Amino acid sequence: MNRKNVRLVFLREVRDQIRDRRTLFMIVVLPLILYPGLAIGMVQISFLFKEQPRTIVLLGTDNLPADPPLLSGNHFASQWFAVPDDADKLHVIHDGTRNPPEVSPQEKADSEANAGLLEEGRDLAGKSQQLEELEKKQDAARKDHNEADEQRLADEIRSLKEELAERFSASKIQVLIVAPQGLKQEVERINHALAARGKDARPDAGEADRVRLLVVQNSADEKSSFAYQRVRLVLTAWEQRILQERLSEAKLPATLAKPVDPELLDVAIARQVSASLWSKLFPTLLIIMAVTGAFYPAVDVAAGEKERGTMETLLISPARRSEIVLGKFFTVVTFSVSTVLLNLLSMGITGKYLISLARNEALTRMGADSLSFPGPWEMMWLILLLLPLSAFYSAISLALATFARSTKEGQYYLTPLLLVTLGLTMFCLSPVVEIDPFYSILPVVGPALLLKEVLASPGSSAPLVYGIPVLATSIAYSLAGLWWAISMFNREDVLFREAERFDVRLWIRHLLRDKEATPSLLEGGLCFVLLILLQFVAFRFLQSGVVVSDGHIDPASTLRLLLIQQMVFVGSPALFMGIMLTTSVWRTFRLRLPNWRYLVVGCVLPLAVGPLSVALQNWLQGWFFPPLPKPVEELMNSLGEQTLPLWFVLLAMAIAPGICEELAFRGFILSGFARSARPAVAIGLSAIAFGAFHIIPQQVFNATLVGLILGLLAIRSESLIPSVLFHIIYNSIETVRVRAGDSIVQVPVLKWFVASEPSVTGYNTLALVVAGVVATLLIAWLIFGGQKAKTMAETAHEAASDEPMGRPRTPEPAISTRSMD
Amino acid sequence: MIHVEHLSKHFSDFRRGSVVALEGVSFDVHPGEIFGLLGPNGAGKTTCLRVLSTVLTPTSGIATVAGYDVLTQAADVRARIGFMSGNTGIYDRMTAWELVEYFARLYGMEEPLVSQRLNEIFATLQMHEFRDVLGSKMSTGMKQKVSIARTIVHNPPVLIFDEPTTGLDVLVARAVLKAIASLREQGKCIIFSTHIMREVEKLCDRVAIIHKGRILAAGTPTELLDRSGQSDFEELFFELISRAEERMAATS
Repeated sequence: MNRKNVRLVFLREVRDQIRDRRTLFMIVVLPLILYPGLAIGMVQISFLFKEQPRTIVLLGTDNLPADPPLLSGNHFASQWFAVPDDADKLHVIHDGTRNPPEVSPQEKADSEANAGLLEEGRDLAGKSQQLEELEKKQDAARKDHNEADEQRLADEIRSLKEELAERFSASKIQVLIVAPQGLKQEVERINHALAARGKDARPDAGEADRVRLLVVQNSADEKSSFAYQRVRLVLTAWEQRILQERLSEAKLPATLAKPVDPELLDVAIARQVSASLWSKLFPTLLIIMAVTGAFYPAVDVAAGEKERGTMETLLISPARRSEIVLGKFFTVVTFSVSTVLLNLLSMGITGKYLISLARNEALTRMGADSLSFPGPWEMMWLILLLLPLSAFYSAISLALATFARSTKEGQYYLTPLLLVTLGLTMFCLSPVVEIDPFYSILPVVGPALLLKEVLASPGSSAPLVYGIPVLATSIAYSLAGLWWAISMFNREDVLFREAERFDVRLWIRHLLRDKEATPSLLEGGLCFVLLILLQFVAFRFLQSGVVVSDGHIDPASTLRLLLIQQMVFVGSPALFMGIMLTTSVWRTFRLRLPNWRYLVVGCVLPLAVGPLSVALQNWLQGWFFPPLPKPVEELMNSLGEQTLPLWFVLLAMAIAPGICEELAFRGFILSGFARSARPAVAIGLSAIAFGAFHIIPQQVFNATLVGLILGLLAIRSESLIPSVLFHIIYNSIETVRVRAGDSIVQVPVLKWFVASEPSVTGYNTLALVVAGVVATLLIAWLIFGGQKAKTMAETAHEAASDEPMGRPRTPEPAISTRSMD
Repeated sequence: MIHVEHLSKHFSDFRRGSVVALEGVSFDVHPGEIFGLLGPNGAGKTTCLRVLSTVLTPTSGIATVAGYDVLTQAADVRARIGFMSGNTGIYDRMTAWELVEYFARLYGMEEPLVSQRLNEIFATLQMHEFRDVLGSKMSTGMKQKVSIARTIVHNPPVLIFDEPTTGLDVLVARAVLKAIASLREQGKCIIFSTHIMREVEKLCDRVAIIHKGRILAAGTPTELLDRSGQSDFEELFFELISRAEERMAATS
């Protein structure tokens, strides 16, 4: 690696980008004018903005208690509003006669329309009352267990409701209030009765016959539900006053209706209010800006270079591919970081200025000095987390842009990248999602959540706890992305991709016609995607089959379904692809008898790895992984029950997955990956695919690790049989152990290894140490030993072809020590 | 200087399946001579030259340039070749001077050698008048001169020209050919591909006629003409190709 070349490429690319008006506009000019521009626009709109008054129809106005007055003219009285001006936002059309509103000429003209609305209102009120009566009848029928009547009434109610909803939506009424006959008298009667203290024997009319105000709204209609929110506040305030008067008339304490009356004390200080605002805004914006800031320069430096025909020139210079990619990568990172910082800066300054202008009380509370920028500690974390995030997106964008034939094709890849990113940031926005050990190692999610935490509670200890894992994993993801970008640059079919017309028919014909002995990388990848999709389809099928009526799962039918799922959705598709797309099913699925040593390893290694992975799982379970989903836990527990025959459990949990998953993952997929990638990379990729196939985080983790061993075993032995054996035995151990329970202690040799007390792991330290030693030795033998002669030949071969491009493709070379370290 | 032995390159193309771009190609090029690769479009000329310039890896066979293997010593090979093709672009947002300087530095040259060499090249190619013009503002002739300057800036012993005159008008093409001829005078080892017979006749010391990835005939232009008894190169070319087509039709 020549640092001078990286610097040369970097400086050239940066100069090139700065000279490009488009980039400059996107990165510098846009943020500087966008936010002030948006702010001006918002101010202008706020002047133009006038809330349309909503129409409320009130029927039976004369039945309302006269004092305190609910209405004033054709509005609700302003005293019932928290902000008195809001009274104008609700236009009340009522049929009151006693208190004729002062009619202006304008309103006179409207009176005809009002009359129409009142008529409509009456019609709707009639229907509503009819509905209430029907519901009462239905209740009565239900009490009498008269099912025929109940059914008939239910149908009637449904059709009436539909009619009512339709008519209500068609009318111009947003909220309809009906004061029934006798409401006023009822209120007064109870007031008097209460004041007279018990002289009336029956102050309360009983729930069923109570005279109540009816309010009709349509919550599906935004206008209606918005108007209702206001009406509800008005009515509550008004009702409170009636209650107060009732109490004072009866000489009862005003606190009667509020025995405890909780008092709210908001201790949020301005700094925290702004902090919580920043914590919501910054991570999301930061990530989106990091993507867009990386993407456009990446497309220009990679796809653009191809398009302009300068790529070949650069490739022929002595600079290595990795140096070229690194130079370009640093350029993209630079622009991504500057985009983010300039955007945040411009947004922050604009927001602060705008708030300092505002005279609104609610805004000034968090305005001026309170909407200060995050402090230096927070800013440090912001930048510290921004760097790996930007690097991650830069590397991915660069790889995608290298793959693209033209800048136009490159632009198309932005949308999926942005969508996935948006999904992740939306997830992080949710207030219930907080950083924990598991989230901290996920890409994008980890930094976003940590940043949220840092900004939300300044001085929290989160960065000290999670800082290292978040940064370490983020850097690892960036490096993986960078590795991908470099490998894209090393692929001649990517660099010299001709624009060919894509045609699905042609492509399928090509797949079927130009078969080779083993599948290609692409076909391996396709097989994985197919399996994942089938898994997704199988969800529904599994879900419908396993849950018994009381919400618990039925282990027997679950196992049966798992068995079918393995055969139909995992084993068969892989076999089918192998038969259709390759010429040698034997080689694709590694169907040959291996050296006997590998068979022994396949049988012994799981006995050592099994306890270790159980111990690791249990250790991680407490603090790292979220708890297992309940049905999974139930299933796991039920497997220990003696009711199910052991052979059946083993068939479904060990033998079927052992065969089917091995055919798919160590057969088709690994063969596909191994054809064009180095063995170590192929094993790694197939292990990740195997992990991703297991949906629950615990199993994803476990399966990825085990997948590495299985892949190693398959590649080394050049046979599928050892890995099938491993898989079956590995899966069986846990089942057998749980079922055997205490009886193991009675077996002479085994009892030394099992924890005497029921501890978490079930294995004692001795067992784990022995297992660790055995596993290490066997894996080391797989990696370094075994085919020594072959390994040395391979090493020599690899050393001779050190140059990235200069590596001839061997169909399926065995692992060399070099590629494993 | 260039030694090619049984070189083959296969591509996989999803329309045509596995495509043979080169099959068993062998030739040698010596210092001070221009070796021409003559063939129709899609004959494998570009593939062959890309293998020599290490951007493509051969499927089988050996190729060494200036004594270095293109497969195992690619970086050494790249440091010793100058490559130019008719469609290598130049950077739009860089001036002529900046571009040539950039490549000089990538080739490991340092000041004051860089400015000395650049001044020399800009003078010989008469490029001083547009040394500060951006690539996007240059005419085709200027661009081609910049490409030539870029190709020779590090004074490589081996030069590879892949159809350098494609899309050029007669005047510019003539200037390019003249520049190539003068490089031969400096003792460079030059390989040159084209589909234009006149260029071969005028420029090349030795020629290989390539078709569908195979060399049909090789030798000096006069040798080839004598051997076939044809009077001009175009006739010779057509005869060779049609004979090859017949052979292929017969075998398949």
